[in-house]
Amino acid sequence: MITVEVIRNSTEFIAEEMGIVLRNTAYSPNIKDRLDFSCAIVSREGDLVAQAEHIPVHLGSLAVGAKNFVECIEEFEDAIYVTNDPYVAGTHLNDVMLLKPVFYKELICFVVNKAHHVDVGGTTPGSMSMDARDLYAEGLIIPPTKLDDKVMEFIKANVRTSNFVGDLKAQIASLKVGEKRILELIDKFGVETLLDSWREAMDYTERLTKAKIEKLGEFECEGVDYVEYEKPLNINVRVVSKGKIFVDFSGTHKQVKAPLNAVFGVTVASTSFALKAVLDPDLPMNHGFLRAIEIYAPEGTLVNPIKPAPVSAGNVETSQRIVDAIFKALAEIFEIPAASHGSMNNVIIGGEGWAFYETLGGGSGARPNGDGIDGIHVNMTNTMNTPVEVIEREYPIMVLEYSLREDSGGAGKFRGGLGIRRVYKLLSDATLSIIADRVKIAPWGLKGGKEGERGEHYVLRNGNRIELSGKETIELKAGDIVVVNTPGGGGYGDPKERDRSRILEDLEDGKVSEEYVRRWFGEV
Amino acid sequence: MLVGIDIGGTFTDLVYFDGSNFGVVKVLTTPKRPAVGALNAIEKAGINLGNVKILVHATTLGTNLFLGQEHLKPPKVALVTTKGFRDVIEIGRQRRTELYNLFFEKPKPLLRRRDRFEVEERINSKGEVVVPLNEEEMRRIAEIIKERGYDIVVVSFINSYVNPKHELKAKEILEELCGIEVVTSHEVNPEYKEFERTSTTLVNAFLKPLMSKYLNELISELRSRGFRGRFYVMQSSGGIANVEMAVEKPAMFIESGPSAGAVAVAFFSELTGDRNAIGFDMGGTTAKASTIVDHTPEVTTEYEVGGKVHAGRLVKGSGYPVRFPFIDLAEVSAGGGTIAWVDEGGALRVGPISAGADPGPACYGKGDKATITDANLVLGRLGERLGSGMRLDKERALKAIGKLADELGMDVTEVAWGIVRIANTIMSKALRMVTVERGHDPRDFVMFAFGGAGPMHGVELGEELNVKAVVIPPNAGVFSAYGLLLADLRVDLVKSWLKPAKEDEMEEEFDGMAKKALESIKMSDVKIFKAVDLRYKGQSYEITVPWLGVEESERIFHERHEALYGFRLDDDVEFVNLRVTAIGFVDKPKPVGKEVEEHEPKPEYSREVFFGDWFETPVFKREMLKPGAVIEGQAIVESYDTVIVIPPDFRAFVDGWGNVRVVR
Repeated sequence: MITVEVIRNSTEFIAEEMGIVLRNTAYSPNIKDRLDFSCAIVSREGDLVAQAEHIPVHLGSLAVGAKNFVECIEEFEDAIYVTNDPYVAGTHLNDVMLLKPVFYKELICFVVNKAHHVDVGGTTPGSMSMDARDLYAEGLIIPPTKLDDKVMEFIKANVRTSNFVGDLKAQIASLKVGEKRILELIDKFGVETLLDSWREAMDYTERLTKAKIEKLGEFECEGVDYVEYEKPLNINVRVVSKGKIFVDFSGTHKQVKAPLNAVFGVTVASTSFALKAVLDPDLPMNHGFLRAIEIYAPEGTLVNPIKPAPVSAGNVETSQRIVDAIFKALAEIFEIPAASHGSMNNVIIGGEGWAFYETLGGGSGARPNGDGIDGIHVNMTNTMNTPVEVIEREYPIMVLEYSLREDSGGAGKFRGGLGIRRVYKLLSDATLSIIADRVKIAPWGLKGGKEGERGEHYVLRNGNRIELSGKETIELKAGDIVVVNTPGGGGYGDPKERDRSRILEDLEDGKVSEEYVRRWFGEV
Repeated sequence: MLVGIDIGGTFTDLVYFDGSNFGVVKVLTTPKRPAVGALNAIEKAGINLGNVKILVHATTLGTNLFLGQEHLKPPKVALVTTKGFRDVIEIGRQRRTELYNLFFEKPKPLLRRRDRFEVEERINSKGEVVVPLNEEEMRRIAEIIKERGYDIVVVSFINSYVNPKHELKAKEILEELCGIEVVTSHEVNPEYKEFERTSTTLVNAFLKPLMSKYLNELISELRSRGFRGRFYVMQSSGGIANVEMAVEKPAMFIESGPSAGAVAVAFFSELTGDRNAIGFDMGGTTAKASTIVDHTPEVTTEYEVGGKVHAGRLVKGSGYPVRFPFIDLAEVSAGGGTIAWVDEGGALRVGPISAGADPGPACYGKGDKATITDANLVLGRLGERLGSGMRLDKERALKAIGKLADELGMDVTEVAWGIVRIANTIMSKALRMVTVERGHDPRDFVMFAFGGAGPMHGVELGEELNVKAVVIPPNAGVFSAYGLLLADLRVDLVKSWLKPAKEDEMEEEFDGMAKKALESIKMSDVKIFKAVDLRYKGQSYEITVPWLGVEESERIFHERHEALYGFRLDDDVEFVNLRVTAIGFVDKPKPVGKEVEEHEPKPEYSREVFFGDWFETPVFKREMLKPGAVIEGQAIVESYDTVIVIPPDFRAFVDGWGNVRVVR
């Protein structure tokens, strides 16, 4: 039993070490600085044994993706395999998944990683166009296949950025280190002990998760939240706790001809995130956790589309809303924060030979015991921002403002966090894609707390203001100014109950205006 | 006489070298007036201050300020930024430090929004003025700053690392109108990335008034008692600094205590002839690891003050970034007092919670939680009476671990053994992290194990990592304080380059930096080291290599990249930073090695110790062991401050310096 714990820890660390190697050797800022990747060890049956905590959206999706991937290949050779097909790998085309079988006389397990590449071809730089009507428009689809030099050349010929190969090499270096460490573990403990321990570690995680579920007690609740498109797209969820946790998405809007569909892997990831946050943030992540939850997502819906529905934004936006829907359901029973800005606020700007991608934080929802956090990433992402001085060195962009957005936090006993304002000036012609949500439907408050301010985007051209919908791709001219205002978090509790000292502090710091104070709290 | 004083949170350690021998004294820290504790230690050691040639000081004062200790009042600081960017310091890198915790908190911003001012000005990434500094607006801001009574002002403008013109002009105006100290970001940290540069400058500004007051007080106390020697402060980089440097950039010695341990390892690794060493320092609540290559501790160029630790590494965004050289320490919450528990899934877990010094391990007689120390006692690795004379309550330890054994349905010994094994796995993670992250293979290293609990776990950990040997230095319990007496004077300067490499221009820049370094070091025996941070264009992690001209440095970079990451590229190489390190050599102890004569010492007695099974195990007293003593494991070596555990099949050898060297 102690050996199991030792091997479980060691295996988790192998995944972490793979992450270190990937980060150290990668090329693009997106992987190196923003850490948009994940690494894992998967059993030969395709079950997740251990995963390094890098980014939540890869969490459950990597488990689903690895299992699909393993099932796609009839017989594995001692080689590196690649895919980015979202309907296999479980997220979107930008996430390129590499897998290497580990042999010790026989097949023992797989080492896997997944990294977000800024461009994988398709109609728009950055490969995340809101105009995509099917998967083919979103970029090159690489079906599960052996990654040799020819395939590498083939991919290279289909993408816009030159970093692609360097980043793939970094992914390969990471897999090789993982393989080496697994073989070292085998030398130390033997194949049998290793495999038994992995099985026991998953059983243990299942037991632990179920014990936590039992502690929550039996309950049943429902929630609905919306992703914005031409009309609101509903995500319905029913959560039942009874020994296991059942999450049922019946009633959710059918899939759409826009990239807002979340492949099943993303739905699993979002559900895992929400449940882990409520059950115990420190739960180990392996197949045992997934055995304690059951997810039903009807085929052909927003949360389990049928190929070739486009999916690029499902990964970044719909994923956020799935979490919100679950939280909204659970808020009936548990103490949960109000809605956060709930968007990754994706900004993709690209021109000839360059593509810049970043996601922006906003306000987190106010909590039952305090204000929300200003200017932060929530739910399914946690990537770092790109420093202004880096952007200005590397791209024909000048940043004119990066600040907290006054008055954007929902009022309440506790205030929602403030959104962010980021203003870009283009120094050359370029294409801009914005994928953001909570532009029409504000982040909800709880227990009398008010809504957070909605997101807002526009372009200033020769003094004219061009409004953007939040989900749009447009051509920009040199000199254009792009203004992105991200949403604030919802408030918690009745504003009348807010401490006067908190109101005055906010006022003095300019986080709220006098008008805001008058509106929600009466006289200043 | 050379003296080192380390004022820590609980204890003030003093080490001295009287020309032939080292001595050590430990007293309680006096938090409100730290100088008192230092003087107490001097008195206890019976040192005549008049004979002290060099006194080196380390303090945790800086860290404590950021951890919000009550009696430390931070100064009132104002910040002036480019219009549109006053919130950069609050937004930070927009990451949350805990992925799944819905109730996470961000570190409180270093200063409130109302204390941050914006002025119209803009310089682009090429250093060209896009919007001139609005001097009228700057004057208006200066008036407000004066009126509100700030103690110090920081100016940090976008792209000032390329062209500091506007920062300098703003400084001039502020100095003229406010009459208080003004610090600009390009002076303190002329590197790119606005958040980190601003944070470094602010942390420095916060510490300045406090540090200069503290040091001046301490020095005048010492002087009034007859101290005539030179006074230095230990830096986090492992070097020491004179008082002027310390007052100028106080953020440079925020973590000075722990870094002394790495310096001590570096010095001893030279004595023992081990090129590469891992320093493993395990105390009551945490274990720290450092790497030493070619007898030089490895440093990192960024650190977060007050940050949280996860799996051995600082969590990015959990503290306040400071871009000065810090000895790269990995830290895990595993020490003698770390608590073992059974989780809801029925698994045995160790840490991260510690019983600390109070109530401490169950066997100390106060607490009832099973800790790593209790496990060591139950397994016979620790005796019931410590070298210091303290008695341990074995019954209590058995009861505490027995409770876990009942929950797990296991035998008490098995559980105690499990606690030790799991703790070792967690610690080996941290140790592996410090090595692999920097592209090293632990198999090329020797491990120095010290701290109160280090020698108890060192040999087994070394086995796990496959190191060449494990060395337990003399006075292992207070070994890290030795580092204070073993460091050289050091000045580090850095400047962003980030433009096409031009050898003569770069040489010119280097000469300017070297001159500046020499000015602040004020010594004759100085060596200058020049280095450059290089990367492939488009990458964002740099590798530091020695400056040997553009071509040669690039060649070394390609080689190093391949060694670290397994591949090299034909792409362009970019020169990111120029670095100058000036080392001023100070008098250091020259311990004399003793004659080694191989022999087998006689154990004091023997007791049953568990190593997967119970073994009759001889117990030795360390002070009785002479150079040349050879001990075949299993064996226990006890000293006044720690216990060395030598498992079966290992062999220990005492060298001429008093180190116990253990190999398989």
